[in-house]
Amino acid sequence: MSSLGRRAWLSAAPLAAAALASAGCRRDAEREGGRVVVSLWFSYGGKNREVLLELVRRFNEGQARVLVRPTYQGDYFEALAKVRTALAAGVAPALTHVVGEVVPYLAEAGVLEPLSGYEGARDLGLLPPLDQAGSFDAAGPRELFALPFNRSVPLAYLNGSLVPAAQAPRTWADLRALARDLTRRGGGGEARFGFEVPISWWFWAAMAVQAGGELLGPAGEPTLGGEAGVEALAFWQTLAHRDRTMRPPAGRDYNAWQVTNQDFLAGRAATIWTSAAFLRYLEENASFPVVAAPLPAHARPAAFVGGTFFVLLRQAPPAQKEAAWAFLRWVCGPGPAAEWAERTGYLPVSRGAYEQMLARGFYEKHPNDRAALAQLEAAHPWPWRPELFRVEREIVEPRLERAVLLDEDPRAALDAARRAAREDG
Amino acid sequence: MATGPTLRPRAPWHPWLMLAPTLAGLGLFAVAPLAVAAYSSLLRWDMLTPPAWVGLANYRALARSGEAWRAFGTTLLFSSLVVVLTTGLGLGLALLLSRPGRFAAFARAAVFSAYVVSWVSVALLWMWLLDPDAGLVARAFAALGLPRVGFLTDPGAALPTLAAVTAWKITGYAMVVFVVGLQDVPRALLEAAALDGAGPWARFRFVVWPLLRPTTAFVATSSLVVSFQAFDVVRVMTQGGPAHATTLFVYAIYEQIFLNLRVGRASALTVLFFVALFALSLLQFWALAARARGAGRKATPPRPPAEAAPPPAREAAP
Repeated sequence: MSSLGRRAWLSAAPLAAAALASAGCRRDAEREGGRVVVSLWFSYGGKNREVLLELVRRFNEGQARVLVRPTYQGDYFEALAKVRTALAAGVAPALTHVVGEVVPYLAEAGVLEPLSGYEGARDLGLLPPLDQAGSFDAAGPRELFALPFNRSVPLAYLNGSLVPAAQAPRTWADLRALARDLTRRGGGGEARFGFEVPISWWFWAAMAVQAGGELLGPAGEPTLGGEAGVEALAFWQTLAHRDRTMRPPAGRDYNAWQVTNQDFLAGRAATIWTSAAFLRYLEENASFPVVAAPLPAHARPAAFVGGTFFVLLRQAPPAQKEAAWAFLRWVCGPGPAAEWAERTGYLPVSRGAYEQMLARGFYEKHPNDRAALAQLEAAHPWPWRPELFRVEREIVEPRLERAVLLDEDPRAALDAARRAAREDG
Repeated sequence: MATGPTLRPRAPWHPWLMLAPTLAGLGLFAVAPLAVAAYSSLLRWDMLTPPAWVGLANYRALARSGEAWRAFGTTLLFSSLVVVLTTGLGLGLALLLSRPGRFAAFARAAVFSAYVVSWVSVALLWMWLLDPDAGLVARAFAALGLPRVGFLTDPGAALPTLAAVTAWKITGYAMVVFVVGLQDVPRALLEAAALDGAGPWARFRFVVWPLLRPTTAFVATSSLVVSFQAFDVVRVMTQGGPAHATTLFVYAIYEQIFLNLRVGRASALTVLFFVALFALSLLQFWALAARARGAGRKATPPRPPAEAAPPPAREAAP
């Protein structure tokens, strides 16, 4: 390079750097062919991913104003970590979906776009147990931050060739007896377990409420179900260690969920608890009839609604948020929401979608989906607390895993969890 | 005597100028991030809400929960297993395969091939092999009448399993280094030892092993570095479980920042990890220096009597 060339390059470099920096800082809505491009970060795999991508494709083809660009970001919590990092870096997508328990945390942190001002936000006809107001405890009127889309309930799945639908367990005692009947021991150990469930907060929280407890006390202090929480944990330990009829699946988080599904499909577990989100996947891949039923009750029936909400991120450019809202209105409409529910097993989020499914006779043809609706009747709201997901992920879930695998004292485990939750709060 | 160009700098700041690129790189990518981590460790921050100054609360929380000690203990155990397995297997394979011939060359290439495969692929491969129901290892155990082992699900078995998988991946590299070390052993020494009646074990024990010590130290150090950095196998195979049995230090940091969204606590763990590694490095330097002093004393010939005079008497105190 000649000295003149070097000098020219050196003098141009700061300008180029400044131009790049200013381009990086300014966030105008990206456009392609005159359409506003909306990034959608999603966390679905397998069948659910296929259906979402199909819906997005149809939306993109059906209008000329908005182009939704979906990007897979790993499981729910990997995606949350990426969203958080992107927010800190100022490059967050306009649209993503997050698990319900995280919504209060993100809302209180001020990173979610309030939605009530958007056109038609209050007229989507969402089903009350699934929308934001119905999913969280009623602590006064609250801004709308989240729209339900893939909402699910925990279900019991039974191998229909071993257990007729009529024998689905209705109580914990039924479940224990059934698991004992269905367990088969081989030469090297259990050839088939009667019951399998991911050691997850979602199922334990449902059981703690079924046993008569609440996760938080009246003043918002973490009670974690009190004695009911201990009873729920002890029940799992009894099945796993005394009866040896329950298999805690390998892996953590969603790996454990996959293992549970695989064990069920391979006949290594006769009954499992997992999400309604896997309903269609299990039905289509099992070599036996799949029977779905609500979770058994104890003192009362109960379950928490799971899955995610769509959220708009406040820092996205206004044009992108408007464009993302157009997609949200479309996808939460009766047609797409009904299609999503029918093809995946998630619940229909709006009354219009539900009525379309009823009119098509969907529930007569799919009795397992009726089980999900029956479970929804026992839905229990989550507390609206910013620390809820921390209590879940960081404090309770690791202790549940440890207590079940190592057969540790359940009361001591939950006492330690309560202490940690108080100290953290 | 011919006088060449002097290496003495013409100005006192010239050496600093030469060092500047390296110092800038180290400062930017090592010292500055560490300083940022040290500062962040005094904050409560989730990267969404404004950070709050909490002093040493993150360290106190880590001490109270025992998380730092647990992660450090797990990492030390894992590292010990990896270093011992890698060094032992690498040396054994090198002794077996350090010979001419196509078969030995093929076997060396086969063993080394695992080293060039990505960590994620290795982890996925071993998850499949170790599947307690359908894996080849489980089937082999069943065929031999051995009890069923939850290699990745039993809290007692998961850490040794991950160490074995790590050792399997890096042993090929250790073997190649040992093969090179073995080729550096002078044949004349081995022949002389053989002529003196030394058998294979004696030749290895008294000729090869002492000459391989620097190679062994290199292999052990590089295995130690790999084991302290282990993350991928944990992330893919166990996610730190079961019951935190495989939560190594690096994974604990990842868990705090990416899963628990705690920048402060992750930074505190990072600082503690740095301190631990720094202490281990000092220990290693001290051990090497002690050995060098010992070797120096052994190598020093006995002083002739004339030099063995008593030290000069101290000057009288004023």
